[in-house]
Amino acid sequence: MTEAQIEKIIALLGALLVGVTAAVQLRNDWAAKGLDALVTKVLLGLMAVGCVLAFLAAINVLGVHA
Amino acid sequence: MATAVATAPLAGHEAVAARYLEVDPVYAETRSIRLLGFVFFLLSDCVLFGAFIFAYVYLRISAPTWPPFVGNHRLPWFDTAFAALNSIVLFGSGVTMHFALENWKHLNRQKFYRWLIATIILGLGFLLGQAHEWTGVLRGGVTWPGSTMGASFFTLTGMHGFHVFVGVCYLTVLGLQARRGIYTGSKYFGLTAGTLYWHFVDVIWVVLFTLFYVW
Amino acid sequence: MEAGTTAPHVGHDPHDHIHPPPEGFIRKYVFSLDHKVIAFQYFITGLLFMLIAGSFAELIRLQLWEPNGAIMSHNAYDTMFTIHGTAMVWLVVIPLVTGALGNFVMPLQIGARDVAFPWLNMLSFWILPVAGLTLFSTFLAGGAHAGWTEYPPISLADGTAGALWCAAIFLVGISSTITGLNFMVTIIKMRAPGMTWTRMPLFIWASFATAFMNMFATVALSSALFALFLEHVFNVPFFDANRGGSAVLYEHMFWFYSHPAVYIFILPAFGVISEILPVFARKPIFGYKMIAFSSLAIAILSFAVWAHHMFPSGISPWLQLTFMIITYAIGVPTGIKVFSWIATLWAGRIHFTTAMLYAMGFLITFTFGGITGIFLASVPADFHEHGTYFVVAHFHYVVAGGALMGFLAAIPYWYPKATGRLMSERMGRWSFWLFFIGFNATFFPMHWLGLEGMPRRYASYVAFATGNPDAVFWNQFETVFSFLMVVSIGLLAWNMIWSIRHGKPAGINPWGARTLEWTISSPPPYYNFRKIPIVYDRPYDFDKPLPYRNLDNDIDAYPEPSPVLLRQEPVRAGA
Repeated sequence: MTEAQIEKIIALLGALLVGVTAAVQLRNDWAAKGLDALVTKVLLGLMAVGCVLAFLAAINVLGVHA
Repeated sequence: MATAVATAPLAGHEAVAARYLEVDPVYAETRSIRLLGFVFFLLSDCVLFGAFIFAYVYLRISAPTWPPFVGNHRLPWFDTAFAALNSIVLFGSGVTMHFALENWKHLNRQKFYRWLIATIILGLGFLLGQAHEWTGVLRGGVTWPGSTMGASFFTLTGMHGFHVFVGVCYLTVLGLQARRGIYTGSKYFGLTAGTLYWHFVDVIWVVLFTLFYVW
Repeated sequence: MEAGTTAPHVGHDPHDHIHPPPEGFIRKYVFSLDHKVIAFQYFITGLLFMLIAGSFAELIRLQLWEPNGAIMSHNAYDTMFTIHGTAMVWLVVIPLVTGALGNFVMPLQIGARDVAFPWLNMLSFWILPVAGLTLFSTFLAGGAHAGWTEYPPISLADGTAGALWCAAIFLVGISSTITGLNFMVTIIKMRAPGMTWTRMPLFIWASFATAFMNMFATVALSSALFALFLEHVFNVPFFDANRGGSAVLYEHMFWFYSHPAVYIFILPAFGVISEILPVFARKPIFGYKMIAFSSLAIAILSFAVWAHHMFPSGISPWLQLTFMIITYAIGVPTGIKVFSWIATLWAGRIHFTTAMLYAMGFLITFTFGGITGIFLASVPADFHEHGTYFVVAHFHYVVAGGALMGFLAAIPYWYPKATGRLMSERMGRWSFWLFFIGFNATFFPMHWLGLEGMPRRYASYVAFATGNPDAVFWNQFETVFSFLMVVSIGLLAWNMIWSIRHGKPAGINPWGARTLEWTISSPPPYYNFRKIPIVYDRPYDFDKPLPYRNLDNDIDAYPEPSPVLLRQEPVRAGA
């Protein structure tokens, strides 16, 4: 196995873990009110999107350059 | 009231919201002013990154080939695999920071410190990863003054790395301040601001990761 | 809270405690946190920089006396117009209209005791002298030559001076971003109870729109200059076309800020005019909501018109068309304002005080500058006018005849509030007419000189003067009349100094104005408002009692201008 493959496997598992945790936190905080809660929700949501992107990059769907 | 919350950790945001009713109105007003100011600061920081991202996109779209040629040598693509791994380190630190603040809200001081330290370690880990990444990129022949690719890459990731570094220092200071007893169960705006800043730095990285490694 | 001794409970407990004023000279006057003192510091600094940048302007005019003027070398001429433009834009107009005027008036008009972040306010001011010194230090490094826009690749030849220029304007950018952020939060969070968005004075609407642009657009400028700085110092190829960079990219980044910047200059002046006209016409402002929302419309649209500065720079025809149309569109909210102001004057009882004279002068010169702006927005016309004196004329009509004229109107209007004394009306009228005549005589001939093709930024116009012999006459005409402006500003400065001692005492409300700053004593106490007022309505209905409760002073419910001041019979327009 190459170095890149190991990195991708760790990234894959990490993305699952972090993404799911972020999504769960987002759900827990969904009803929270106030500007800080709103900004946190937006930022956590975008971070979850980042996890999806990292996941897709790890399974060679994104970031593949010919 | 406070003890009831303490015995029911993570009992939901209602318990936390209820505690705000005890806060004096002077603090509530100052807090809302500072919070809005801080959010505006983050928005203006977005514009800083936005301008350089615009520059990168502009240069990349108008370039005849991407990665560009330097002399006869075509520059290599960036290493997506390692970047994905390093991204997860940074995103993970966002989650741990979120846990830290939640634990503070629910009056779990010990867990707050543990998660905060985890965040700082992950943040430092990301910076080390970036150092590794930079050496790799430099070895591939992409340099800061050498090409538009290197110019955008090193400027943007350097600015972001600087933000992460500042964030690590910021969180350390917040931890020390909390140790000194500056924040209480209902007055902890500094910690909220630190958390927002840290999430913000994460989200900037989502964009940079997409633009440099996925696109 | 001790019940019975304080005002009725209005849900604003935080404001019911007053901090004592600071002790000691340094805390009081140097590193002061008081918005009024900071405004005064901005004012003095801005005027000092204006003195320097203005003398550069006169040197430029003297050089143009002869087609082949020999006042200075061509190299020195380049640095003169570069630093004249740069300093006037960033060290004079922006600090004066947002720093001085905004800082003094805005917290008073919303009934606040200070801005949201007094410490940031102080920081933002103290960056300015540092930035100014950095800018003028470019002369020690050989001077910056590329004009106030500092376009690469020309600016890249400046070396250290170019890098210093970037650093200076980067600092100004930081300062004005901080001010914008501060003002945004102040206006959103710290208005007096009852002052809803549609009850705010129009100056506050203008300040809000300005702060919005200051906060967002200025960061883009800082980024552009940061990139240019990196290119200067570390040779990073953002803008060097030989290495894949793009000079047009710099133009995009620069104008993304610098077009909103001209609205940052002009919106506070709009606010001033919207305050002064109803007061001296004794009539409610016409179309309050239209003026307020057109400020916001301008602020938003101004982010989408930047490329009209770049029509000849090689952008695609589709972009040219788009930017041409949006630029026409931004003329609409501006036109709405002008029509509303004229409608405010209609059938009013007009008192020609100095402030009103300047406001009327503003209406004429600004409208004129706005119309030539529409000429320049048209792509085919712009190809002809770009880079000529037509642009110089347009720009000065908008910035000097607009923003500066608005600021000059604000000086006699708010001077009594700031010092407790009225300025001399006699000297004021002289300085207005000198400025108005000098200004128009200086810049009006530039329109046809530009249309005939006289290029801007040239130290020598021998070639142009050969084909257009009248050019020499008009340039000498401009140079002569430009000194009237110097006399006028000097007279204004003398008037301000003289009136501190000899002006008539102003009292609380010399103009019979209705905004909140005219309900407290002149000069305002350290804490502005002992009791935070409660607002019931807009401040423009001159036939109704004042819409405030809980005021500090017992003042006339139907304020009229002081009879001492207004000896002359008011003119009834349109009747």
